[in-house]
Amino acid sequence: MVTVTPSPSLTSTAAPMETPAAPTKFSVTVPPASAAKSGVATTLINIENFDFYYGAKQALFDINLKLDDKRVTAFIGPSGCGKSTLLRCLNRMNDLIDGTSIKRGSISIRDVDIYGRDVDAIELRKRVGMVFQKSNPFPKSIYENITYGLRIQGVKTKSRLDEVVEKSLRGAALWDEVKDRLHESGLGLSGGQQQRLCIARTIAVEPEVILMDEPCSALDPIATSKVEELIHELKKQFTIIIVTHSMQQAARCSDKTAFFYMGKLIEYDDTRNIFMNPANPQTEAYVSGRFG
Amino acid sequence: MSSPSSPAAPTFVIGKARTRMLGLTLDECIQAFFGGNALVAVIVLALITFFLFREGAQFFNQNRDNIRIYRLAGLEYVDYMRQQQEDHTALTRYLFDVRLRTLKHLTEVEHCSLAEANARLASFDDFAGRYGDAIEPVRGLVSDLTEVATAIKTKFTIGEDTKIQREQLLSVGKTAEAAAVVIQPVDFKSELAPILGTLPAYKEAAVVVRKNLEASLATIPALPVHSLQPRMDRFKQLTRDYLATFPTTLHAMEIWDYTRPVPLWKSFTGFMLGRQWLTASFWQDWYGIVPLFAGSLLISMIALFIAVPLGVGAAIYVNQIASSTEQGLIKPTIEFISAIPSVVLGFFGIAVLGQALRAVSQIQSLNWIPGFPFSERLNALTAGCLLALIAVPTIFTLAEDAINNVPRAFKEASFALGATRMQTILRIIVPASLSGIVSAILLGLGRVIGETMVVLLCAGNRIQIPDFSVGLSVVTQPVHTMTGIIAQEMGEVPQGSIHYRALFMVGVALFFLALLINFFAQKIVRKYRISIG
Ligand SMILES: Nc1ncnc2c1ncn2[C@@H]1O[C@H](COP(=O)(O)OP(=O)(O)OP(=O)(O)O)[C@@H](O)[C@H]1O
Ligand SMILES: [Mg+2]
Repeated sequence: MVTVTPSPSLTSTAAPMETPAAPTKFSVTVPPASAAKSGVATTLINIENFDFYYGAKQALFDINLKLDDKRVTAFIGPSGCGKSTLLRCLNRMNDLIDGTSIKRGSISIRDVDIYGRDVDAIELRKRVGMVFQKSNPFPKSIYENITYGLRIQGVKTKSRLDEVVEKSLRGAALWDEVKDRLHESGLGLSGGQQQRLCIARTIAVEPEVILMDEPCSALDPIATSKVEELIHELKKQFTIIIVTHSMQQAARCSDKTAFFYMGKLIEYDDTRNIFMNPANPQTEAYVSGRFG
Repeated sequence: MSSPSSPAAPTFVIGKARTRMLGLTLDECIQAFFGGNALVAVIVLALITFFLFREGAQFFNQNRDNIRIYRLAGLEYVDYMRQQQEDHTALTRYLFDVRLRTLKHLTEVEHCSLAEANARLASFDDFAGRYGDAIEPVRGLVSDLTEVATAIKTKFTIGEDTKIQREQLLSVGKTAEAAAVVIQPVDFKSELAPILGTLPAYKEAAVVVRKNLEASLATIPALPVHSLQPRMDRFKQLTRDYLATFPTTLHAMEIWDYTRPVPLWKSFTGFMLGRQWLTASFWQDWYGIVPLFAGSLLISMIALFIAVPLGVGAAIYVNQIASSTEQGLIKPTIEFISAIPSVVLGFFGIAVLGQALRAVSQIQSLNWIPGFPFSERLNALTAGCLLALIAVPTIFTLAEDAINNVPRAFKEASFALGATRMQTILRIIVPASLSGIVSAILLGLGRVIGETMVVLLCAGNRIQIPDFSVGLSVVTQPVHTMTGIIAQEMGEVPQGSIHYRALFMVGVALFFLALLINFFAQKIVRKYRISIG
């Protein structure tokens, strides 16, 4: 068993690291508009003192994080630091893995504790959708892929389904490419198209939050930029949390960024600050590409 | 390569010293070994196929001779009349059944005493008696001619036997003894004359039968139980249909000709479509595979009906729902079933399951189940239940494999869209693994069709096409199977006889059936590999 040492301080160092050099030129350029978004964001998701275990192995240590409504938040950090784990806690996907447990803390969305007694994980997942690292359309037609989420909720009306298919595909910037082949298999699309199909499938059930776990890691630069444009569009309507290994992507897409290391949240701030002026030397080392 | 003129250039050595045996390197030896094994397997399969066919193919010639003598000796001719007589017997059986129902109704519903009930049936019995006797003229003819035809056939068989005897003597060089063997040729034309000469007598008899039946139909009494009247109306219709076959029979007899040759395909269709498997009969042997095939099919269907839900259900449960402790318990248990020798299962079927099923079927409150109660302990149901046990591990293991091969990503995507576990299983997991499941079922079927011991011990071994017209209760009839008949009869038949070869042909048919099933299973699996990657 790993003993938990609560470490509320964001600057706590979990492991010895190389001393960061003085901030110099970062390899990442941050669009100035990114942080200066009009309007004041409200908190949608509130993670408090969250500890998470895979069996006896602790994967998350005392996470405290408030995620904004209708904003894009990026999770960054070196491999194995727990980004995916935290992301999958937000829609309770980790419930599917045997032996996982939450020993402390809570996650609430709109002040409802999602691990509360009377919360139905199925209902939660309808509100909190997810796009995976590797695109995973069902071995069904494009049309059926998109309507799946509605059909399992019992929607049968053809006109309603048609409408949702078009709206979701347009929302995922895929409509023009596939409108003539809606009834062909979703597996016949290119990798980038498949990933956008998965996004379309997710937005078809109109969730409030979309979790994206490295959605572009298997895509080429053009497909990636398409998905990134899409994220810009989607954030008008959805709250998006994206895990990424690409600093550029985090900088381009997100309003706020959280940096994790060894299962701990090291720093969380406006993306602009994280990249231009990080408070923590570990963050600086990571975003400047000196470790990770 | 380095040249001697420039000794400074370094040599580029990529060769390697290899030990060689018989001029082969070690790698080549290993290759040869595995290749040789594969070749042996292929050759053995080819040999099996070849010998199976060689033994079996002889059957068609022999069966043709068998059918030819059936015609030459006039058995076929007599069978026309016999058929007429038997159809009539079937009708009287129908009458008897109506009487039984009426009696039951009278005693149980109207609470008559037995004597009273019998008295009320007196006019019916009188009618039934007249109806039954109506066939007498034809019956007499048939029994006379049966003897004549059998005598011709025996004479012919003896002639054939002496021919063989003489050939054997000749082949060992005993020419003198061979010459002494007298072969009595059978003159079919003159032998058949007494049989064919009865045609006028038959015509007369048929007319009498028709008149008798029509007369008795005209005086058919009303049944004491009104609700059973429709059965009597149906009986009238059946009799009229029966009478309508008379001219056809007569025509067939008139144009019958013992010299008409028997084409070879008749021998083939006689086997493939023959509805009788009748051996060692005094009259005529028939080798028709249909009753055996139907028995095998019925048992397999029962087995699959039970094993598919169990096997596939268990596979889904173990793979998708069970905790790892349950998995660790269920999987080895099911797989262990396949380790039970089938003869032990058969023994269990006779001693326990058959008894238990019969006892259950005789529980009064379960009478509504079709086929209940039944009195045969060994029947298709008993065998089917045990075969299901044999098929379950096959289906379970392969179906579980197929389900396991469904990428985890599909399941996660489904859950992430808010699907419940059941929705995910039914809409994603099962469709994605469907072809694998279907091929698992097909291979289970192959396993069941080929199973021998259990069916031999538990199916009841009655060679008869199951009566599917009785609906679901057909499952409680005793049947015989293709595998069972081979195991049962092969030991008792003289090698090279037609019966022996017929059993070989049943084996060939089984072989093809198994081949077909495997072929489809593989085809489906291939498709499935492509679709899931
Ligand atoms: N199913 C699991 N069972 C046990 N341990 C796991 C499981 N999934 C992840 N872990 C462990 O939890 C820790 C965090 O993993 P996680 O997948 O969240 O990392 P990550 O930040 O997403 O990494 P990456 O960038 O490589 O995807 C790792 O040490 C990992 O080994
Ligand atoms: Mg990850």
